Amino acid sequence: MTSTLSTSRPIQPKLIYPHASDRADEVYTEDGKVREHWRYLLDSLKTLGSDAFEDRNTKARRILRDDGATYNIYSETITPSRAWGLDLVPSLISSEEWAVIEAGLLERAELYNLLLRDIYGERSLIRHGVIPSEALFSHKGFLRPCHGIQLPGEHDLILHACDLMRGTDGEFMILSDRTQSPSGAGYALENRTVMSRVLPSLFRDSHVHRLAPFFQQLRAKLTALSPNQDQPRIVVLTPGPYNETYFEHAYLANYLGLHLVQSGDLVVRNGYLWMKSLDSLTRVDVILRRIDDWFCDPVELKGNSQLGVPGLLEVVRAGRVAIANPLGSGVLESPILHKYMNQISMALLGREPRLSSIETYWCGDEQDRNYVLNNLDNLVVKPVVRGIGMNSIFSEQLDQQQRKQLLQAIQANPMHFVAQPVINAPHLPTYIDGVLQPRPATLRSFAIASDTSYRIMPGGLTRVGIEQDTFMISNQRGAHSKDTWVIASEPERIEGRREGAEAAMQLREAELINLPSRVVENLFWMGRYAERAEASLRILRTAFMMLHGEEYISDVFKRHLLQAVTEVTSTYPGFVNADDELINAPETELLSVVKDPNRAGSVCSNLNAMLYCADESKQLLSTDMLRVINDIRDALSELDNTLSGDLASAPEEALDPLVTALMALAGLTQESMVRSVGWTFMDMGRRLERGIQSSSVIRSLIVPEVSEADQTMLIQTVLSSLEVSISYRRRYGTRMGVQACLDLVMLDNTNPRSLIYQLNQILMHLYSLPHPEESRHELPAEERAAVEAETLVRLSLLTELSSREKGQRIKLLNQLQQLNQLLSSVSTLVSNKYFAHRESSQQLVSSTWENDA
Amino acid sequence: MRYQIKHVTEYQYQEEVSHCYNLAQMIPRSTTRQTRIRSELKVSPYTAFNAQRQDYFGNQSFHFEIQQPHQQLVITSTSEVETSPQAFSGARLDFGVSCSDAKQLLASSTEQDVLLAREFMLNSPMAKISDELRAYARPSFADDRPLLSSVMELTSRIYNEFSYSPESTTVATPLSEVLENRAGVCQDFAHLQIGCLRSMGFPAKYVSGYIETLPAPGQEKLVGTDATHAWISVFSPTEGWVEFDPTNNCIAGDQHIITAWGRDYGDVTPLKGIIFGGGKEPHLVVSVDVSRL
Repeated sequence: MTSTLSTSRPIQPKLIYPHASDRADEVYTEDGKVREHWRYLLDSLKTLGSDAFEDRNTKARRILRDDGATYNIYSETITPSRAWGLDLVPSLISSEEWAVIEAGLLERAELYNLLLRDIYGERSLIRHGVIPSEALFSHKGFLRPCHGIQLPGEHDLILHACDLMRGTDGEFMILSDRTQSPSGAGYALENRTVMSRVLPSLFRDSHVHRLAPFFQQLRAKLTALSPNQDQPRIVVLTPGPYNETYFEHAYLANYLGLHLVQSGDLVVRNGYLWMKSLDSLTRVDVILRRIDDWFCDPVELKGNSQLGVPGLLEVVRAGRVAIANPLGSGVLESPILHKYMNQISMALLGREPRLSSIETYWCGDEQDRNYVLNNLDNLVVKPVVRGIGMNSIFSEQLDQQQRKQLLQAIQANPMHFVAQPVINAPHLPTYIDGVLQPRPATLRSFAIASDTSYRIMPGGLTRVGIEQDTFMISNQRGAHSKDTWVIASEPERIEGRREGAEAAMQLREAELINLPSRVVENLFWMGRYAERAEASLRILRTAFMMLHGEEYISDVFKRHLLQAVTEVTSTYPGFVNADDELINAPETELLSVVKDPNRAGSVCSNLNAMLYCADESKQLLSTDMLRVINDIRDALSELDNTLSGDLASAPEEALDPLVTALMALAGLTQESMVRSVGWTFMDMGRRLERGIQSSSVIRSLIVPEVSEADQTMLIQTVLSSLEVSISYRRRYGTRMGVQACLDLVMLDNTNPRSLIYQLNQILMHLYSLPHPEESRHELPAEERAAVEAETLVRLSLLTELSSREKGQRIKLLNQLQQLNQLLSSVSTLVSNKYFAHRESSQQLVSSTWENDA
Repeated sequence: MRYQIKHVTEYQYQEEVSHCYNLAQMIPRSTTRQTRIRSELKVSPYTAFNAQRQDYFGNQSFHFEIQQPHQQLVITSTSEVETSPQAFSGARLDFGVSCSDAKQLLASSTEQDVLLAREFMLNSPMAKISDELRAYARPSFADDRPLLSSVMELTSRIYNEFSYSPESTTVATPLSEVLENRAGVCQDFAHLQIGCLRSMGFPAKYVSGYIETLPAPGQEKLVGTDATHAWISVFSPTEGWVEFDPTNNCIAGDQHIITAWGRDYGDVTPLKGIIFGGGKEPHLVVSVDVSRL
């Protein structure tokens, strides 16, 4: 077996994990022996060696990048996307031990389900004094408007996640519970996918318990929650691309075959919840939410929330939509509950819990508070509500002033703080700088409700601290992750679905028609921005080549060329009416048109806009398209280096990778995108933009009357920036004639870059869109405008267009201006008709919400 | 006493509202001393959806959704209730549980009503515990004095030391300002008294409703006529919840008609919601008619 892992190179450093005795280690027993279930992995790594491992590591990073796997750090404002960190050495758990943990996690999920029902139902735990009234009533996650809401079936708590760690006694214990919209399951799946690709034989031979059944159960449970059993529509509700775990939202939606929506895509009408799709509303039955409780409905919860759907809670109450996890479930994340877990378990389950919770002191309890205040240095202080800026406080790291502030904060609001002992997580071997080093690790586990109980994801998401003695392990603090392998003692029965991204449950064909209109709008604009960037790049590239070419260029030509750059990119004033000084030294201005991200119309700003649209419509783009989009992102960030001020070094070459990537994107759009409504709009956007850009190139270069020599150069420029030089030469030879040029770029239906070609395509797309049934036969406004534009071009007479008057081709100018207006109005009319625009709303009476300062 | 109440709320918007989602708490609830006999809530323009339910505090919540463009919203709540005086009367003010015993019981009792009442000892968004409020309240709460006698004294002090002045405050005026200016309206006085009671360690809640005015000759006209009214309820571990009205210096009686109660005004806001459009600062007119049947 090991032979498949070793390479033929004779000498390479071995990958060895030495035993260090200063801290508990998952690999080694106390007396330094390798635990049985680690042996195979360690042997394999040793044989594989660090060079080969480094290769796998590079490959893994490439896959993660291609998949767009990121985790956003809130404090990083400039480049918020951070590549997801995966350490290729998995965390291993033996089947025997997992059986014990799994039973404990099942019980925990059941217990939390009963707890949730009690909190929003009878509150018997309060009535019977099992937990103090204040432990519940003072917690800001307890949402009174959610009282009495129940989901169909046995479970209200659909998803449950725990952070676990092996304690000093060697047993696993629970550090915290995640109950409102637990994140991490999608990352765990991505980790698994990557691992099975970069270490295939090691993965195969380790008999790892599979993850897919967990996600099948998730999908099945969400379907079962639907109040409407006939083809329920399930959506994933995300705050949007700037959320820390947006990658996971899109990834899960994609994998489960669900629509990814933002709150603006949803609306309450007539007591039901709907998704705004192209020209209609589509009912929504189930929401898998990734938005925190109190942001979800500004009518009853946080009134100034911009992330919510007004009226949502009342729809939930009427049982017309199910939300997983239910609104209000955030209260279960209160660490105060850990203090009373044994009593709660006795009261609700009749026995003590199998898995213990970390020892927790609640400052709302007088005795605990005194203990905390007297033993601050040995404790971690935690706010009872999670949130941005609500971090755990490691009092040992505080200076005098901070310490005083902490004490004051606790004394002012003792009920809002708990403290827990500092326990160091055991070490796991982690690949760092070419060697295996010990790093502390915790495990996030996931449970999903099934018909009668819960299903636990075998393994979960292991997170490792950055340093050997890191205490706080969280992704917001830059922690890396590991795949977690539960090593099966015997091969697992295959339940039908293969592991990995290719096994994703696809959206049904019928569902694609009903995309959220926001997604369609973003695809439309993605098409427009991609084409706009491409047109700008082409004219810029042509300009650079002409300016630095061998051929002599006249001042008149130079001026027209540079003006065309300004006009095509709409970066006025630019070179329009510029003085000679600027025309003679255009480099700075040209570079700014390429790479100034803050300048509207620059290549950089168009590409940024395109990337934003791509993020918003990610779930409809193929893996290959996402890879190309990553290439564009990379090329864009490289632009500053490759395009330094020195123009002598052929700047047009620096633009080539971007042009190539955009071409690849255009090609993939044609070749690898399903011809759904989304594609139609993306292509329509592209065609509209190309029509507008091409007419702009023709207008600025052909309208002016110039000498014959300059005319020839200008025609060459048009042909080159519209990418038809070769076709022209094949047809007309080297003689540059205005009429021949206009024929090819405007009227020739066989040229996919001609104006008439764009107009035909636009019309075809418009006809293919869903039309309401109406008795009258008049054309809708956007079709009228498109037909008018097409007719205008079709009825052109080349002799008229090329005729000159007062130094200009005035007829050509008029026609192109008219065409431009018509194309712009097609775009506006399509937007108004098909895309829902978010209206601004306000609170009738401004209210003070629990968490407002 | 049997009353009919007609409560009309009218919003006039500067600009058209395309659609809106609202939550009204204008239908009187039933309590141990009040029975709702009938109630009807009309909304103009027509609602696309409406539903009535009982909320967390046992109040009547009316949800509605309007999907047609409008510049005027009118809500007419008509109801008939039968009220009776509180079981507790002023004659027993000097005999109840003392402040210190009450505190002791609140901390140690395992009675359900006590455990549940402890929710109202905690801060709520609009009525928070503070040192200033505690300092103001303390002189009335001697340890050996009966709790309800202390509360009555606090009620009188607020009545005597604060001036009723609709111009001085808005919904958003913080308690510290009310305390400093010694002025406000019924809502402010209720919040102030709740803040004082919580600061002293006693559960208190906010009661919204109406009050019947008696224009009989020779009698002082009660403040709060023809408008919605607000007062408080305090919890004694031995006597239960007892309502006091700091605006009128009395224990609430059968002329106090209850609409809803909660931790503070935020829990019982008569009408809240989200509107789309509407422009700035809508014009609000509220009229209330309480008539004895």
